[in-house]
Amino acid sequence: MHVYILKRLLHIVPTVLGITFVVFLMMQSVPGDPVVALLGDAYTQEDAVKIRHLYGLDRPIIVQYFIWLGKLVQGNWGTSILSGRPVLEDVLVRLPVTLELIVLSMGVALAIAVPAGIIGALRQNTWADYTATSVAMIGVSIPEFFIGVLLLLVFSFGLGGLLPSSGWVYLPGTCPSMVCGVSLWGNMQHVLMPALALGVGRAAILTRLLRTSMLEVIRTEYVTTARAKGLSERPIVLKHALKNALIPTITVMGLQIGFLIGGAIVVETLFAMPGLGTFGIDAIIARDYQQVQGFALITAFAFVTMNLLVDLTYTFLDPRIRYA
Amino acid sequence: MKPRPISGGSTRETDLLAVPGVAWRARVASPESPLAQGLRRFRRSTTALVGVAIVVTLVLVALFADVLAPQSPISSDQTRTFQSPSWDYPLGTDQLGRDMLSRIIHGTRLSLIVGVSSVLLALLVGVPSGMIAGYYGGRLDSAIMRVMDLILAFPIYLLAIILMVVFTPTAGLIGAMKVTGAIAIVRIPIYARLVRGSVLSIKEKEYVEACRALGVRDPWILFRHILPNCLAPIIVTTTLGIATSIIVEATLSFLGLGTQPPTPSWGWDLKANISFIQANAWLSLFPGLAIFVTVLGFNLFGDGLRDALDPRLK
Repeated sequence: MHVYILKRLLHIVPTVLGITFVVFLMMQSVPGDPVVALLGDAYTQEDAVKIRHLYGLDRPIIVQYFIWLGKLVQGNWGTSILSGRPVLEDVLVRLPVTLELIVLSMGVALAIAVPAGIIGALRQNTWADYTATSVAMIGVSIPEFFIGVLLLLVFSFGLGGLLPSSGWVYLPGTCPSMVCGVSLWGNMQHVLMPALALGVGRAAILTRLLRTSMLEVIRTEYVTTARAKGLSERPIVLKHALKNALIPTITVMGLQIGFLIGGAIVVETLFAMPGLGTFGIDAIIARDYQQVQGFALITAFAFVTMNLLVDLTYTFLDPRIRYA
Repeated sequence: MKPRPISGGSTRETDLLAVPGVAWRARVASPESPLAQGLRRFRRSTTALVGVAIVVTLVLVALFADVLAPQSPISSDQTRTFQSPSWDYPLGTDQLGRDMLSRIIHGTRLSLIVGVSSVLLALLVGVPSGMIAGYYGGRLDSAIMRVMDLILAFPIYLLAIILMVVFTPTAGLIGAMKVTGAIAIVRIPIYARLVRGSVLSIKEKEYVEACRALGVRDPWILFRHILPNCLAPIIVTTTLGIATSIIVEATLSFLGLGTQPPTPSWGWDLKANISFIQANAWLSLFPGLAIFVTVLGFNLFGDGLRDALDPRLK
């Protein structure tokens, strides 16, 4: 087991390198030239050559990648061509915003899904089940940006501007400069709608999946055995059934976290939040190679780690699954 | 009459007819195929039928969009911008004076084509990869899953976004094919991982061991014994998958990276009108509702299918 974990940890390195390399290659094949965009009207051939040389853009692609990698090992994430700012600094400033959004929306999703999924399965074909499944069905069918638009229409425009439609107020301690707004209350007001927009859809998916697996599990013989030997319903549901029902749910949850980080791009765009999502999409569209690399690096790392955790959770939930 | 032997199992219909004393044909329970049984269960589910009705309606709307749409979806009229819903324009007009109803009718095509074809493409690659990886384990498993990890390590939208930036979004059929390809690529690992997870636990079961002990060949074990047992999550995920693909398509369009104008796309319309929602809420509401109803239709349809094909879950 420990060997397995160690092996998987070692796998993280090539996977992250692979991802950043693939992104690097893909970005290089995007039509357009960031140097042209940078110089704008002042574009001259000599300046372009100078800038390309300055940022190493005149080197072969492979060499450029390894230069980036070499600097990375020394803790240097590179400098944005377009803004001239260090990439790591920007990433660290925006990371807390996105982390907060994702953690809260995952919390929203789990808080709804686990009880709803269990109740739906245990009280199958009752009004409680029908309510849970119908609401989940609606939740699964609405894209997060449309939930966001509906929330905007109700809470920002409908109820006399109850919640702000865009922008951000930082959590105490995460403010990147002297001028930004910092307040817990303001932060909550700003994060509420985005977290709901992102979390409701995930909640619906997890509810449906958990209900399905629970239905499958509570029909198995070991649950009947547990009932037959006089175990009360609570340990049967929570210890015997839920643990096994969680296997497919955990798989999908791992994938959902990937979806959440991507969904953050959409929700952050809609609500104009200064998070990693807007940072990433702006960088991709502007072809700011260094920023895209930084963005790819941090998301790739987050994902591979999450997938490892998901695989390890399997063995915990079902000891029959073994990794040699 | 010759006495019939008592031993030898049940009396068959032909034997009965040969017996002169028996005047009626024996009633034999007509064997119903599992598929027919499934179909019968499917027809009993109201929600499933609602789903089918929505999907069939959408397919018809997509096929006959040219006939059904009252106006051209792309011709703009600067004298009729931001019209509220009326008899002439049942869903109003947008900032270019284009008829919203016609745009939504034509948008059906893009959503359906991209949604269905991208899932089929992903399924064809993902399911076999996952089964092989889970069943054989070892190096093959590592190799397949590392490739999947590589794709999975991207947030689905991020990879789709980068792929679309690389493909450069365009209008029309080619544009739709680019979106289909981008969505299919990001969705392959979902099937692979799901199937692998199930196979990992199913292959330890006694009946699989028994098969191996009997000398049943691996492909037969995989397709006849393991695949049917992990089918329920595959079906759930596939039907949800069409719905999700439609959402991803709408999301890419929403970010401006889907099929480009003038091709009508719900996601693009929603995005384009978002700056005006405070005064003209319907402009973003109708494309959003269209996405919602379409996705809902596929979800209901898929749910009904699941209940019908796997009665254990009902």
